[in-house]
Amino acid sequence: MTPITALLSIMFFPAGITLILSGMLYEWADRKLVARFQHRIGPRWFQPLADTLKLLTKEEIKPHGINSVLFYGLPIVALTGALTAALYSPILGLVPVYSFPGDLIVTLYLLSLLTMCMGLAGWNGSNRFSLIGATRALTQLFAYEAPFLLALLGPAIVAGTWVIKDISDYAENHWLIFTQPVGFFIALIGLMGKLELPPFDAPEAETEIVAGALTEYSGRGLALFHIGRSVELVVAVSLVTAFYLGGIGNPLLFLGKTLIMVLLMATLQAMLTRLRIDQTVGMWWRFGALLALCQILILVLLKGWLA
Amino acid sequence: MTTETYLQRAGEILAPFAKATNNPETNRLDVQIAVGDLPTAASALTDASWGYLAAITGMDLGVETNELEALYQFCEGAAVTTLRVHIPREDCPEIPSVSDKIPVASFFERELSEMLGVTVVNTPDPSHLFLPDDWPANVYPLREGFTPEQAASVEPAKTLEPGKVGNKFIVPIGPQHPALKEPGHFEFTIDGEIITGARMRLGYVHRGIEKATEQRNWIQNLYLLERICGICSHTHTSAYSQGVEKLAQVEVPQRALAIRELVAGLERIHSHLLWLGVVAHEAGFDTLFMYSWRDRETVMNLLEELTGNRVNYSICSLGGVKHDIGAEHSASIHKALDYLEERIRYYLDVVTTDTTFLQRTRGVGTMTLDEAKRFGTLGPTARASGVTRDVRLDAPYGAYKRFPVSIITDDRGDLEARFVVRMKELLVTCFTIRTIVDNMPSGEIATKFPRKIPAGETVSRVEAPRGEAFYYIKSAGGESPVRLHIRTPSLCNWTSVINKAVGHQLADAPMLIAGMDPCFSCNDRMVTVRRKDGSNTLTWSELREYGIKKYGQRK
Repeated sequence: MTPITALLSIMFFPAGITLILSGMLYEWADRKLVARFQHRIGPRWFQPLADTLKLLTKEEIKPHGINSVLFYGLPIVALTGALTAALYSPILGLVPVYSFPGDLIVTLYLLSLLTMCMGLAGWNGSNRFSLIGATRALTQLFAYEAPFLLALLGPAIVAGTWVIKDISDYAENHWLIFTQPVGFFIALIGLMGKLELPPFDAPEAETEIVAGALTEYSGRGLALFHIGRSVELVVAVSLVTAFYLGGIGNPLLFLGKTLIMVLLMATLQAMLTRLRIDQTVGMWWRFGALLALCQILILVLLKGWLA
Repeated sequence: MTTETYLQRAGEILAPFAKATNNPETNRLDVQIAVGDLPTAASALTDASWGYLAAITGMDLGVETNELEALYQFCEGAAVTTLRVHIPREDCPEIPSVSDKIPVASFFERELSEMLGVTVVNTPDPSHLFLPDDWPANVYPLREGFTPEQAASVEPAKTLEPGKVGNKFIVPIGPQHPALKEPGHFEFTIDGEIITGARMRLGYVHRGIEKATEQRNWIQNLYLLERICGICSHTHTSAYSQGVEKLAQVEVPQRALAIRELVAGLERIHSHLLWLGVVAHEAGFDTLFMYSWRDRETVMNLLEELTGNRVNYSICSLGGVKHDIGAEHSASIHKALDYLEERIRYYLDVVTTDTTFLQRTRGVGTMTLDEAKRFGTLGPTARASGVTRDVRLDAPYGAYKRFPVSIITDDRGDLEARFVVRMKELLVTCFTIRTIVDNMPSGEIATKFPRKIPAGETVSRVEAPRGEAFYYIKSAGGESPVRLHIRTPSLCNWTSVINKAVGHQLADAPMLIAGMDPCFSCNDRMVTVRRKDGSNTLTWSELREYGIKKYGQRK
C-alpha cells in the first residue's frame, strides 16, 4: 500500500469521513430505537450530524487552572485512537485495511483509549462532577475491560490466531454465537459498558454528576469526544458481529447483522435501570469475569483434548 | 379517642405551664404560656406522644401592644393545641429552641427568626432558610412597617460557595442541577462514593406570598394562593377557602364539597404520576419516566375538560365552586379512570418486580416508624414507614365524611414502600372519584359570600398529595387577612432526607431527595430580582445589553 492510498484510506474510506458518518447513522438508529421503545418520536436521521456540526461551531470554553495541553489534546487522542482501531477492524463489512499478527490486542487497547482519555480529562478538570465522573469511568473500565477482552479471546482461541481478519474468516463458516453463547452475551454487555450506555451510564449520570468527566467540555472538545464515541460504536459492533455472527460475508448482510446488535442494545437500554457504580463492578467481577474465564478454560481444555 | 379527649389530655399535660386556657373552636385548645416554659411544655407534649408539631406561626401584634406572638401548633387527629407565647417586640427578642426534642422545629425556627427578627436560642442552624444571603441585617419582612425598599441588597456576609473544606469533599447539588426540577441547594460531603454529611438551603423561589396576602382582599388571595404550587394548586385554594368559610361561618353546599374532593382526587393522580416519572428519571430508568408522563396526560386532559385549565384549575371559590361537574361528565371521567387504573396497576407491578429498579429502591433510605414520627414526616413518606397519619381520615373535612378514603400504609419504610403506598393510594383515589361521580349530591354549587370576614383566627388543614398542608388564617374583621401562615408538607419532610442521606451512596442522593416528593415552590413562596445599583427590573433590551457586557468581560 502506497502512502497516498494509506492516507486516503485513513482520511476518507473506509476510515475517516465515511466511518464518522456511518457512526452517526448507527447513533441515530440507537437513539431512534430507544425513543420508540419509550413512546417518544425520536430524532430525525440527520440529528447526530446536526448536533455535531452545531457543537463544532460553538465556542470552546477552557476553565481556569487546568492544563491546556491535556484539555485540548485529549479529545484528539481519543478520536485518533478510535479511528486507528477502525483500520484493523472489518467495519462496514469490508476486509480490514491493515492486518498484522496480534492486531486484535492492539485494537482492543485502542478502543479503551477513549475511556482513558475521558478519565484523564475528568481528572484534569477542577470540577467536582468531572472528578467523580472520571473516578467512576475508570472504575468501570476495570470492571468490564477484562471480561470483554476474554469474550473476544474465545473466538481467537478456537480460530488459533490473533489476527482479526483470520478470526473473521474462520467465523464465516462457524457461527460462534451458537458454540460460545456466554462469550457473545458478555461481549454485547461489555460493549454497552464501553460505550457507557444505560444501564452502565453511572460515569455520566446526569441526575447525580451532571455530565461526569466531560462536564467542563463544550464546543469542539465535546464534539470530538462524541464523534470518538460513535466511531467506537461502529468499530466495536463490527468486531463482535464479525467474531460471533458469522464473519464478514457480504457487506449488506453484515450491515443487517450489526443493526440487529444495535436493536439488542437499544432494547436493553430501554429495559434497565441505571446501576450504581458498586453494583456495576460487583456484577462484572462476580458474574461477568467468572463466566468468561470458565468459557476460556473450557475452550482451552476442549481444544487440547481434540488435538 | 375523640377530639374532646385529645384536647382534655393536652389540657392536663399543659396545666402546670398554662397561664390562660381557652377553646376558640371545638377542635382547638389555646394555651398561653411563658416564654421560659416553652421547651418544657413542648417536650411534655412530645414525651406523652401527643401529636406532632405542625407549624410555628409567628406574627407581629403591632406597635401598640409592642409584642410579637409565636404560636406552636400541635396536631393530633382533628385536635389542634396551640402553645401561645408573647415576646417583647424591641431589644432583640429571644425565644428558646425546641428543636432538640422536635428536629423538624429547626426549619420552623429558621423561618421565624428571619421573618420576625426573633433570636432562637440554641437552634442548630440560625442561618437564612428562605431569604437571600444578601438580605440586609435587621430587616424583617413580616414585621409591621416593613417596606420593600428596606430590602435593598447588601454584600452577603458569607458566601455559600461550597468547596473543599479541610479534607472534606463536598458535592453541591443545586441550585441549578439536572437532578432538581426546581431550585434548591444541597451540599453532600462525600468520602469516595459514600455520603458523610448533608446540608440544605431553600428559598430560591421565595415569593413573599404570605406577606402579599395581607395587601389583597379575601377574593384576590384565592388566585394568589393558587399560584403557590403548580402541582397541588387545588390543595391551596381548598385549604384557604375552607378556613375563610369557617371564619365567615358560611355553610358550603354539599355538592360543592363533593366537587372539591373530586378535583382533589384528580390532582392527586396527576401529582403522583408526575412524581413516579421524576423518581424513575433520577434512578436512570427513563422508559418508566416517559410512560408515566404519557399517562399523566389523560388526567391533565380530563382536568382541562372539567375545569377549563390544566394546572391552576381555579375551581374553588369562596362559598363553593365555580363549575358544576354533573352527569354529562360522568362518561368521560369513568373512561379516563378505566385507562388510568389499568396503567396504575401496571406501574405497581413494575415497581415491585423489576429487578434492576428494585436494586435502586429496595432497602434504600429505610426509615423506621419511630424515626418517621420523630422527624415529623407527613404524607405518603410517613405512611410508607407505617405512620397512620392522614388528614382526610383524622379530621375529615369537606366531603370526606360522606365519601371517605381508606388509608394505605406500609411498614418497610424504604423507597420501594413509598412507591407502593403512592400507587395503591391512586387506586383508592380512583375508586373514590367513581363513587363521587355516581352519587353526586344535588343542589347548588355555591352560596353568597360576604365581603368582610368577622374577626377571628382559624386553622385549616388539608391533605395535599405530599402530606398535610397547614393554614393559619387570622382576620381582624376587614377585607383582607391580617396574617396568613402556610406550612406545606415538604418542609416537614426535609429532616428525614438530611438525616437519612448519611451513609448512603452519592448515587442514591437524588432518589432520596425525590423520594419524598419535594415541592420547592410550595416551600418557598418570593423572589425579587435586584441589582446592586438598586434598580429592580430589567427591560428586554437592558437584559440583552447586560448579557453582552457580561459576555465581553469574560474574554
